Amino acid sequence: MNHDHPFGEELQDLLDGRLAEPARAEMAAHVAQCPRCREELAVLERARAAARGLLPLAQPADLAGRIASVLDAADRTSAPGATRRRLSHRWRFVAAGLVAAAALVALLILRSAVDLPGAVARDFAGYRDGRLALQLRTGDPAALEHFFAERGVAFPTRVFDLAMMQYRLAGGRVHRLAGRASALFAYTGPDAAPLICEMYGGSLAELPRAAEQRVHDGITFHVYRVSRMTLVFWQEGAVVCVLASEGNTDEVVQLAYAKALRV
Amino acid sequence: MVNRSRGRRIPAFPDPETKRARFEAAALPFSGRLYAAARRLTGSHDDAADLVQDTFLRAYRTFENFQPSTNCRAWLFTILYSIFLNERGRRRPMLLTTEQLDAVAATDKEVVAGESPWSLEVERALTRLPLAFRAAVLLVDVEDLSYEEAAAAAGCLVGTLRSRLFRGRKLLGDMLRDHAREAGFPTPTETGE
Repeated sequence: MNHDHPFGEELQDLLDGRLAEPARAEMAAHVAQCPRCREELAVLERARAAARGLLPLAQPADLAGRIASVLDAADRTSAPGATRRRLSHRWRFVAAGLVAAAALVALLILRSAVDLPGAVARDFAGYRDGRLALQLRTGDPAALEHFFAERGVAFPTRVFDLAMMQYRLAGGRVHRLAGRASALFAYTGPDAAPLICEMYGGSLAELPRAAEQRVHDGITFHVYRVSRMTLVFWQEGAVVCVLASEGNTDEVVQLAYAKALRV
Repeated sequence: MVNRSRGRRIPAFPDPETKRARFEAAALPFSGRLYAAARRLTGSHDDAADLVQDTFLRAYRTFENFQPSTNCRAWLFTILYSIFLNERGRRRPMLLTTEQLDAVAATDKEVVAGESPWSLEVERALTRLPLAFRAAVLLVDVEDLSYEEAAAAAGCLVGTLRSRLFRGRKLLGDMLRDHAREAGFPTPTETGE
């Protein structure tokens, strides 16, 4: 340290609390009796205070949607393309065989029905365990519907007010369910029990055989039980809706009746 | 987040949905701060939005490399600044043009909540700093990163960051000298010290 007049960066170290004793005390003592260094320190302090006091800039309204779009695109075009470029000629044959086998398996799975109940059950467990975050937390169904539309959900969503049945809307997220876009929203019920609803474009015909089917007001409900969960699917136009909860099966079905009846 | 066994890379996430959910929970809360920094680096709304979008894309693709115990915000700034330098900085002048400065000031009147003549003057002065100094001030003073985090984000040594920060603050403080009194900053001279 130059004790006649310290270097400016040492003054900055004093300002930012980056000097250890006894250097800090020596520097402070020098500044206290040196107008020139006090002036220099004041300039630095003024700049720091000005920068720290900058006001937040408003985020563009479309930024969240743009980010979601590039993440969606990354999901669609991730690993396989990049990996293929690095494959040797020999491994291309192996890869081609694997792709053919995968296609065959996929075909068999599709023919025997996609495991959508399993995917919904994983989503429910993910939300319940805190691994699946809500992108918008709101108790306002209209705000959530607006959010889904703004984030590019291609089908109209109906977010239901289940407050009369003691389920409070917690929020939602634009999601993917077994490779397709879905709108996921969550409720908190009695004793903080979680309930999720997912809506996606599709048909009940894609589902595996249900453990039980119930018909109410002309609407068919497919009921599945996965572990301790109850899943209730039904069709609304081109959209499939599903409720998932660990609550009593009849209670979940009644919630589905309440929701579906509002069509 | 990445485990290795016998040299093989084990995926950090059991499925794409989990990766997406964890990334969104960790990174999305910082989109506003990233945009503000990008805006102040580029001086352009459109360039800033593009930069933030590219930052999130690269971060998502490399999310397996992120260490959960570290500062996600600092990691995102590292990516943002790297993209800015590599893909944009080389094609653009390090100082904004007069037209860009005017555009920044004009737009800021619309977007800065509760803006004042002082805050506009600070924004304008900041954008007049050479890029390396501006970045140091942005990372440390505006974004509140440590010297070490800011140096990592700027891709330089801590000593270099310290020097750039000093020179940036010195220039900024000097530029704001004439406006400081109006904004209520006393100077040693005024207080008779």
